[in-house]
Amino acid sequence: MLWVDKYRPRTLDKMFVHEEIAQNLKKLVAEQDCPHLLFYGPPGAGKKTLIMALLREMFGPAAEKVKLEQKTWKIDAGTRTIELELAMLASTHHVELNPSDAGFQDRYIVQEIIKEMAKNRPIDSKGKKGFKVLVLNEVDKLSKEAQHSLRRTMEKYSASCRLVLCCNSSSRVTEAVRSRCLNVRLNAPTVEQIIEVLELIGKKESLQLPPGFAARIAAQSNRSMRRAILSFETCRVQQYPFTVNQAVPAMDWEQYVSEIASDIMKEQSPKRLFQVRGKVYELLANCIPPEVILKKLLLELLKKLDSELKHEICHWAAYYEHRMRLGQKSIFHIEAFVAKFMSIYKAFLIETFG
Amino acid sequence: MGKRKAVIVLSSSEDDEVRDRSAGGHQRPSKSRSNPLSTSRKRIGKRSKETSCVGSVSRPSPKLEAAKFATLSEDFSDCLEDLHLARGNQYWKELWIDKYKPSSVAQLAVHKKKVEEIKCWLEDRLTKSKGRSGNVLLLTGHAGIGKSATVRAIASQLGAQLCEWTTPTPTLWQEHVHISNLGLRYVSKLDEFESFVEKVGKYSLLFPNNFGLSKVPIIILIDDLPGTNGRAAFVKLKKCLMTLAHSSQLPTIISITEFSEIDLGKGSTSRYEELISILERAGAQKVAFNPLTVSSIKKVLSNICQEEKCDVTLELIDQIAKTCGGDIRNAVASFQYCCVRPDDFLLSASSTQMTTNTRLDFTKSRSSLLTGQNGHEPLSFFLVGRDETLTLFHALGKFLHNKREIPNALDLDLGSESLVLCKKFVRKPLKMDVPERVLSQAYGQARPVVDFLHENVLDFVSDGAINDAWMVSSYLSDADCLLALSLHIIFPSLTDMHESKSISQLVAASVAVRGVLFGNVQPMSSRWHTIRSPKLWQIEHLAHQHKNELMGAKCDTYGIGVSMSEIVTEYLPSVKWISSGITDGLGDGKYEHYPIRVNSSSEHGFVVYDSKESMSNEESDDDEIEDW
Repeated sequence: MLWVDKYRPRTLDKMFVHEEIAQNLKKLVAEQDCPHLLFYGPPGAGKKTLIMALLREMFGPAAEKVKLEQKTWKIDAGTRTIELELAMLASTHHVELNPSDAGFQDRYIVQEIIKEMAKNRPIDSKGKKGFKVLVLNEVDKLSKEAQHSLRRTMEKYSASCRLVLCCNSSSRVTEAVRSRCLNVRLNAPTVEQIIEVLELIGKKESLQLPPGFAARIAAQSNRSMRRAILSFETCRVQQYPFTVNQAVPAMDWEQYVSEIASDIMKEQSPKRLFQVRGKVYELLANCIPPEVILKKLLLELLKKLDSELKHEICHWAAYYEHRMRLGQKSIFHIEAFVAKFMSIYKAFLIETFG
Repeated sequence: MGKRKAVIVLSSSEDDEVRDRSAGGHQRPSKSRSNPLSTSRKRIGKRSKETSCVGSVSRPSPKLEAAKFATLSEDFSDCLEDLHLARGNQYWKELWIDKYKPSSVAQLAVHKKKVEEIKCWLEDRLTKSKGRSGNVLLLTGHAGIGKSATVRAIASQLGAQLCEWTTPTPTLWQEHVHISNLGLRYVSKLDEFESFVEKVGKYSLLFPNNFGLSKVPIIILIDDLPGTNGRAAFVKLKKCLMTLAHSSQLPTIISITEFSEIDLGKGSTSRYEELISILERAGAQKVAFNPLTVSSIKKVLSNICQEEKCDVTLELIDQIAKTCGGDIRNAVASFQYCCVRPDDFLLSASSTQMTTNTRLDFTKSRSSLLTGQNGHEPLSFFLVGRDETLTLFHALGKFLHNKREIPNALDLDLGSESLVLCKKFVRKPLKMDVPERVLSQAYGQARPVVDFLHENVLDFVSDGAINDAWMVSSYLSDADCLLALSLHIIFPSLTDMHESKSISQLVAASVAVRGVLFGNVQPMSSRWHTIRSPKLWQIEHLAHQHKNELMGAKCDTYGIGVSMSEIVTEYLPSVKWISSGITDGLGDGKYEHYPIRVNSSSEHGFVVYDSKESMSNEESDDDEIEDW
C-alpha cells in the first residue's frame, strides 16, 4: 500500500488538517440532520479523506466495506435505449462514482442512479427509513445539462438520499447546485502542516529524517499533501538512509516541461517552435491535461524571465488558456502561446542587447 | 410490361443487324468468326457501347421498325408513329464527337511521339508475333485524351482488325431472379472476364490455323476492365491480368483511364496504380498519355469549325481549349454545345473577355483586397469545360508556398490610390485564385485542411521570422475556436443548424488559409518540401488509447475518486519511481500489485512515435507539391 493510503486518517477525530471543519461536520452528523454537501478545494487538500471519514462517522465501519462494481445502466431515452457502463464503489450505505467518466452522456447517469437509489431505501435497525449517501466526484467536469438534471433530482429525492459532491473549483458548478448544498471549502494545507505530517510518517516508519529534509519536500509539493507524501516515499525508495542534500525527484513530466521551457529560452525560431511542438505532443499522448502543461510551462518560463515581461506573458498565457477552453485541439493554442512568447522574448533580447 | 420488354429486345437486335449492314463488308466475317467463341466476346469487331447508343438514335430506318411494331400492337404503333413524326420533323445532326472521329493517324491530336511509339510496337508485334512474350501494351492517361482513338486509327492504318472486350451489361436483380428461375447459374462479370482471358491464350493459337483464309492481323483491345469490389475480387482481377500478360499470343492493348483521387477516393487510385505496376512487372510496355495541349485541341476545333462553317470567334475556341483540361471529347462536345446558339454565347463570352481585360490592371493591384470580386469573374468558364479540380495536396502546396506577384511601380501607385493601408498590413498580390475558390476546387474540408496547415506551415516560415510564426499560429488558433464553435451551435431547427454549421466550417477554413497566407510575410524561397500528414491525429489516437488503458486500470488501482489528471500527473510518476526501486531490489515486495509501466518507455517514459508509416502514404503525392 502506498503511504498516501496507509496514513490516511480514517476518522474525523484523527484529521491532521482541517480539524475545525472535521469537528463541525461531526456535530452536524450527530444532530442527524445532514444536508447535501459540496466539498471544494485544490488537489491534495484532503477532500477525499474528509469525505471518507465523514461516511465512517455516519454509518460506522460498515461504510468502509466497499466493493467495486462495473455496472451497466440501461437508460430509456425516449426513442432509444442507451447502455452505459460505469464503475462504482458501493457499500450498503453509500455509492461513490465519477459521473464525468461517462462523457457526454453523464446526465443520464446522474438521473438514473439517483432514481434507483431512491427506490430501494435502506431501513435502519430501528425500523426507521434511513438514507443513502451518493458521493459524486469531479462535479465540476459535469456538463451543464447534467448539472441541471442533478439539481432537479436533488430536490425530488432529497428525502431518500444525500449527495456529497466533490470538486476542485466551485466556479464551474452551477449556482443552482451550489445553493442547494452546504459548501465546504478546504484550503490546501500549509507548508508547516505538511512538514508535520511528513515527520509523523517518518516517525511511524522509523526513518531518520535529516533536518530540513521534510521542509524541502514540502516546499516542492505545491502545498499538496498527496504530492508531498508520494515524493517522500519516492525518496525513501531511491536512497535510504537520507542524506542532507538529497535531491527530491521531480515528476517526470514536470522535468520535461522545464526542458521545453529552457529550449524556448535558448532559441526563438520557427524551427525551435516545431521541436517544441513535438515535445508537447509527447506530453499530450501521455494524457497530461493541456491546462496543466500550459500552467507549468508558464511557471517555468516566469522563473527565468525578466520581471519587465512577466505581466505581458501572463496576459497571453491567460488569453490562450481561454482559447483552449473554447477550442477543440489544445496544441494549436499551446503552440500559439509559445510562438507569442518567443516573439516577445526575441524582441526584448534585441532591444536590450542589440 | 411483358410486351414492352419484347419490343426492346426486338429493337436492339434490329439495331445490331442494321448496323452490321451499314458497316459493310469486312465486318461480316468477324461476326461469324466470333460465333464459336464465348458469349463474352460477342461484341468483337463492333464499335464500343457508347457509339452504338448514339447510332441507334441516328438510325436511318425508323419506318421499317415502326412497321414491325405495328404488327405487334396497334396501340404501340400509334404512339410510335407520333414519336417517329416528331423525330422526323426535328433537324437532327450527328454528334460531332462521332462525326469527327479521327479516322487516320494524321488526324489524331495526340502527340506524334506517342503515336509513333504505339505504331512501332504494333508493327513489331504484328510482323513477328510468334513465340515471344510481352505482348501487352498498357495505355494510361486521363479520360478523353484519345487513348482508344489512337489505337483505332493506327489499327485501321495497319489494316489490322481490332477485337474489343466489352464488359457485358450488368445483370439487374430482376433479371438475375429470372435467370436463376430458369436454372442457369449466375456468372459474375469478373468470371466472364477470366474465361475471356483464358480463351485469348488458346484462341490465338487455334485461330490462324482454323481460319487460314483471313490474313488480317488481329489486335485485342481491352478498354474496360471489370469493376472489382473488395480485396478478393481485386486479387482475382490481378491474377487474370497477370495470366493475360504472360500468355497472350496476340498483341493486346489494355487501356486504363486514370482517375483523379478526388473522384473515387484514395483506395481506388492506389488500386489502379497497383494494376499498372503489376502489368509492367509482367512485361507489359507502358505508354502514358498526357493531357492534350491547348494548341492541338485548338487545331482540331478550328478544323471542325471550318467543316461546319460555324461562325464562332477565335477567342471562344481558345477558351474552350483552355478550359477543357486536355480532354478533347469534352472540348468537342462543349464546342458543339456552344455552336447550337452561337449568338448568346458569343455575347457572354466577349463581354466577359472585355471585362476581364479592363479589370485586369485593377485586379492586379488590388487583388489582395478585392479578391472577393474575382469570384464571379468569367462566367463562361462555367458554361463550358470541365470544372477544374485540384488535389488537396496541390491546394495545400499553393497555400504553404505562398507565392506572390512581384509588384511593379504602376501597381503600387494604383494600390495607394484605392486604399491606404498601414505598411505592416500590406502584402503583395497573390499568385493564385481566391483562396476560398482553391479550397472548394480541392473539396477541402475545414478540419483536415486546418490540421494539415498546422502540421506543415512552420517549414515554410523563414528562419528568423518568429513573429510570422506567431501570427500564423494565432490565426490557426482562431480557426480552431471557430471549428469548435461549429460543433456547439444549437439552433431550433435541424436544417438551420446544418447550414450554419457548414458556414462556420467554411469560415474557419478560410480564416486558417488566409491567416497562413497573411501571416507568413517572407515565405521561404521555394524548394522541395514534403507535406506531412498531421502528427496530431496520431497523437490524439495514442492519447485516447492511453486514456482507455488508464481508465481500465484506474478503478482497481487508485479507487474511483481519483481524477484522471491526478493519476497522470502525480500517482503514475511516483509509482514508476517506487516500482523501479523495487526492481533494483530495494523494496520488500509491498507494491507488487501496482502495474509497472516503465519497461517499454524511453528515458522520460514517453514513447517515441514513429511516423514513417504514415509518411509513406503521402510520398506519392510529393511530386505534385514541388513547386507552385
